[in-house]
Amino acid sequence: MTEVVNDPLRADETAAAVTSLSKAELSAIFEADALPYLDQLYGTALRMTRNSTDAEDLVQETYAKAFAAFGSYEQGTNLRAWLFRILRNTFINSYRKAQRTPFSDSAEELTDGQLLDIETRGAGGVRSAESEALERLGDDDINQALASLPEDFRTAVYLADVEGFSYKEIAEIMDTPVGTVMSRVHRGRKSLRNLLTEYAQERGLLSAGGEDQ
Amino acid sequence: MSCGQPHATPCTEVIASLSAYIDGEVGASEYRLIAIHITECPPCEREEQAQRTVKALVVRATTVSRAPGSLHERIRVQLAPDRPNAEQ
Repeated sequence: MTEVVNDPLRADETAAAVTSLSKAELSAIFEADALPYLDQLYGTALRMTRNSTDAEDLVQETYAKAFAAFGSYEQGTNLRAWLFRILRNTFINSYRKAQRTPFSDSAEELTDGQLLDIETRGAGGVRSAESEALERLGDDDINQALASLPEDFRTAVYLADVEGFSYKEIAEIMDTPVGTVMSRVHRGRKSLRNLLTEYAQERGLLSAGGEDQ
Repeated sequence: MSCGQPHATPCTEVIASLSAYIDGEVGASEYRLIAIHITECPPCEREEQAQRTVKALVVRATTVSRAPGSLHERIRVQLAPDRPNAEQ
C-alpha cells in the first residue's frame, strides 16, 4: 500500500544529504569533476615552469589547494577556469616569487627590453612566403621560441591558443584586466612570429630581404 | 606598411586588433570592419595569415603533453588516502 514518496520530502532529503557530505563523498565528487583536467593543467604547468619535475609538483600542489578550497567553490561556475586560476596563483607564489627554480635547463627568458626589441624590430614588412616558411619549422623551434617569451606572455598565448580560453577567462586566471590579456597575447604572438621568422631565415627557409615586390 | 589604397579602417588599427580578431574577441561591427579591410589590403591579409600560422604552430607544437601516470596516482592518493588501493 505504500505510495511513492512525494517530491518535497525527497527534495528535503537531498538537500540534507548534500550539506552533510562525508569527506569521502566530497573527494569522490572532486575527483570526478576536477581530475579530468589533469592533462591540461600539467601541459600548462609545463609551459610555466619549463621543466617536468616542477610541473608535476606544481600540479599536485594545485590539486591539494583546490580540494581544500572545494567547499567554497560555487557549483555551476567555471570549474576549469577556477582550477587554472589556482594553478597560476600557486605558480606565482611558490615558484616565481620565491624563484625556487633557476630554470637552468631551458633557454633564458627574454627580458622586457629584449621582448620590446624583438617585437618592434619586426621582420621588416610582410612576406608572401612567410607563412609557408614558418610552417616548415620543426616543433623544437616553436617550443624554443615559446620558452623564450617572458612567462606572462607565454602563459597568455598558451591559454588562448592551446586551451582555448576566452580573454575574459584568462583575465580571471591571471588576475589581470582583459585589456592586459589582449596586450599580452598580441605582443606575445607578435614576438613569436618575429622570432620564428628569424629562425626560418637562419634555416634558409626564407630569404632575409623579403619576397614580395 | 600599407597597400597604398585608402581604407575605411586604417591599417594601424587593423594590425593592433588582429590578435583579438583571430581569437574571436572583437565585437560584430569591429569584426566586419576588419574582415572587409583584409579583403582589400594584401599586406594586412598577409599579416593576418602570418598570425594565424603562428597560432596554429603553437597548437601543433604543444598538444602532446600528457601528465605521467605516476602523477595521476600521487594525486589520487593525496585526495583519498584511506581508499583501499587498486580495485582489481
